[in-house]
Amino acid sequence: MTDCKHCGESLAADARGAFCCDGCAAAAEWIRSADLAAYYDLRSQPAPRVQSQLQDLAIWDRTELLAEHAHPIPGGREITLLSDGMRCAACAWLIDRALAREPGVIECSANAVTGRIRLAWDPTHAPLSRILGALIRLGYRPFLASGATQEVERRRTRQRTLIRLGVAALGSMQAMMFAEALYLDVNQTMDLATRDFFRWITLLVSTPVVFYAGWPFLLGAWTELRARRVGMDVLIAGSSLLAWGASSIETLRGGPHVWFDAAVMFVFLLLAARMLEQRARAIGHARIDALARARPAFVQREGSDGSSQAIPLAELQAGDVVRVAAGEVLPADGCLLDTIAQLDETLLTGESRAVERLSGAAVYAGSICRNQPIRVRVDQIGSATRLSQIAQLVERAQSQRPPIARLADRVASYFVAALLLAGIVVACVWSVIDPARALQITLATLVISCPCALALAIPAAISSAHSALAQAGVLALSEHALERLAQITDVVFDKTGTLTESRPVLGRVQTFGGIESAKALNIASALEQGGSHPLAQAFAGTPSTHAASERRLIAGVGVEGLIDGRYWRLGRADFATAGADDGALWLGNGKDATARFEWSESLRRDCATTIAALRARGLAIHLASGDAPARVASVAQRLGIKTSRARQSAEDKLALVRGLQSQGRVVLMVGDGINDAPVLAGADVSVSFAEGAALAHRASDLLLTGASLNGLDAAINIARRTRRVIRQNLGWAIAYNLTALPLAACGLVEPWLAALGMAGSSLLVTLNSLRLLRQPQRSAADEAPAPLVLEHT
Amino acid sequence: MNILLMLIPVSLLLVLASIAAFVWAVRSDQFEDLDTPALDVLVGDRPAAERPGVD
Repeated sequence: MTDCKHCGESLAADARGAFCCDGCAAAAEWIRSADLAAYYDLRSQPAPRVQSQLQDLAIWDRTELLAEHAHPIPGGREITLLSDGMRCAACAWLIDRALAREPGVIECSANAVTGRIRLAWDPTHAPLSRILGALIRLGYRPFLASGATQEVERRRTRQRTLIRLGVAALGSMQAMMFAEALYLDVNQTMDLATRDFFRWITLLVSTPVVFYAGWPFLLGAWTELRARRVGMDVLIAGSSLLAWGASSIETLRGGPHVWFDAAVMFVFLLLAARMLEQRARAIGHARIDALARARPAFVQREGSDGSSQAIPLAELQAGDVVRVAAGEVLPADGCLLDTIAQLDETLLTGESRAVERLSGAAVYAGSICRNQPIRVRVDQIGSATRLSQIAQLVERAQSQRPPIARLADRVASYFVAALLLAGIVVACVWSVIDPARALQITLATLVISCPCALALAIPAAISSAHSALAQAGVLALSEHALERLAQITDVVFDKTGTLTESRPVLGRVQTFGGIESAKALNIASALEQGGSHPLAQAFAGTPSTHAASERRLIAGVGVEGLIDGRYWRLGRADFATAGADDGALWLGNGKDATARFEWSESLRRDCATTIAALRARGLAIHLASGDAPARVASVAQRLGIKTSRARQSAEDKLALVRGLQSQGRVVLMVGDGINDAPVLAGADVSVSFAEGAALAHRASDLLLTGASLNGLDAAINIARRTRRVIRQNLGWAIAYNLTALPLAACGLVEPWLAALGMAGSSLLVTLNSLRLLRQPQRSAADEAPAPLVLEHT
Repeated sequence: MNILLMLIPVSLLLVLASIAAFVWAVRSDQFEDLDTPALDVLVGDRPAAERPGVD
């Protein structure tokens, strides 16, 4: 047994039992005792790792929070929560069952697709915090959704779309049935009264389809026309209204032909195609939604007596003093109270290097506090902060679409204009040749060559690719991530926390000068408390009784701080003890050694197979690490990486990436940890782990949500397949339109056939894009051998 | 052909009925989650008395 039975993470070599941590063991024990063990059979993805440290849940019981986010229902309240841990339907099943058993819960429904949990409970019976405690025990962390009213609105929109589609489907089916009766009357033997009766009934059935189900198109057309723009909706609405209107007139005056069937089929099939596209996009968005939380939901406010208290962000007021821990995000604009602070203002300025701010300087919401905790007096909150103003700009930028999609939009809109002109020409020409057929042929021309397929070709592919990525455990954070990922030629890996597990295991402890090893561990653990460097994780298992003050992290070297008035350094030998660097971790005061810690790290289980797979894709692999040469060489050798560099600072790594780029290579950087941020930002595409430092996420284009590298190969595969599908879609759409238009203009196509052909072409493009959702074949990594453990002594 | 006068209104009523049923299904959240209910039928709930260790 090499994997945790609960979360599937590979176990450290010396782990006891079948679980990676106490949290997972407790969750599994609870699931077993609650008789929900079927979860393990039902799931298709491993569970999220359970965080053993407890959160302060009291915050969830606050009346202000409940007032804003939970709306009253008969017998209690209802709240919608987001959770990032739900990976498959079995998770939703488990949450449903587990929470339903908590006392006080009225109803609970979890949805793995949207990542949302709807919870109705009776506050007089049990506080929300107790119910959420049960959720956290299972490894699902709750986050606030955007607010009760937005949630209700979101559900209502979804339901309305579904009802429109249902009305369109049933209505058009019925209209087709009546139209069929008219078509089958080939010899005109039906008496006129019956024929007109059929026509009136078809009119009755198709009217709600055109006007109720087709309302989004009509509305879209109106918006486009008001903006003096000719787009897809104008053409769709125009064609369906033309078909319906002309048919109604024909019905009234008893003309020879009606085309109700073309109108309803057009509306229904387009609605279906559009809904498929929206659904694919919604899946991708839901996952990103649950993870994108740039601002903290709660902040630590300092009371007048110096105690700190967690309060919701909304409650923060100008004049309050807040405490921000290292690695956390500043909640508001304000003024620095400590003497010095290192802040990362990437979000605000794009400058990824930390800036130093002195006491009294202005600091901004959204910057990330590095190295040591700080205190800030709040001046501006909420929408008055600089971050909010920038966020509005970013939102505007994000509503723009990838360059290639914009190009397709422009082409399509020219195409629509050209098509309308062609329609007029066809109408004029045919009214000279054969006035009786002019309307019918114009209609067929307009309908058959609707460039819907052209407009759908790229968005449909991109949105399915995003949800395929989410399934593979990869989130695309930037809009050009996919496009660039398909082009990469080189991959640069960081080592610690990327190729190796993020939690190194502490090995032998040697002490000098008569100190006990337990005491040395205690001191080291205090120094690493709350540190986000992967090595700090090695000490997470040894709780410290000391508290370090003036802690400072020196990136790539070590950490220093004061404990009980004594100055300590922990890190590389040359930093902590002025000795020669030997790869181990030393504790000292800068001159004399007190203790030496050996540690081992294991390669991520699937890292060998992933690297082999990447190489098979023709990519050049590089390794650049801040670690000691011996360790880097040993990892490189095991994985067969030829170009490896050790003791690289962030600048060195960036120089390596820039060097490759100047040779015309397209570089993917895979990293994790604080000193990677500039490199991640400098590479063409960057990937980091969701479990890594929060800082790395800000700079990276893609995020691996699982603990394995497996998703990386899948992501590259998906990006390349997406590029192929987009080309196929565009090729098909253009070829189809170029063939169909002349045929229709020559009068060879009936309107109903035109509607079928056009919608079929759109559906074909959508279905071709949905192919991307098919799970790529399971890679050999699933049967990978036990993790390789690298001993560092 | 007079039978049509009855059959067509009947078919219209059927369409109305199915639209009403569909609207009801959507409104009562039947389409909110299409994956989890599929698992529910695989694992039935045991009667509460048999469940061990549930508080």
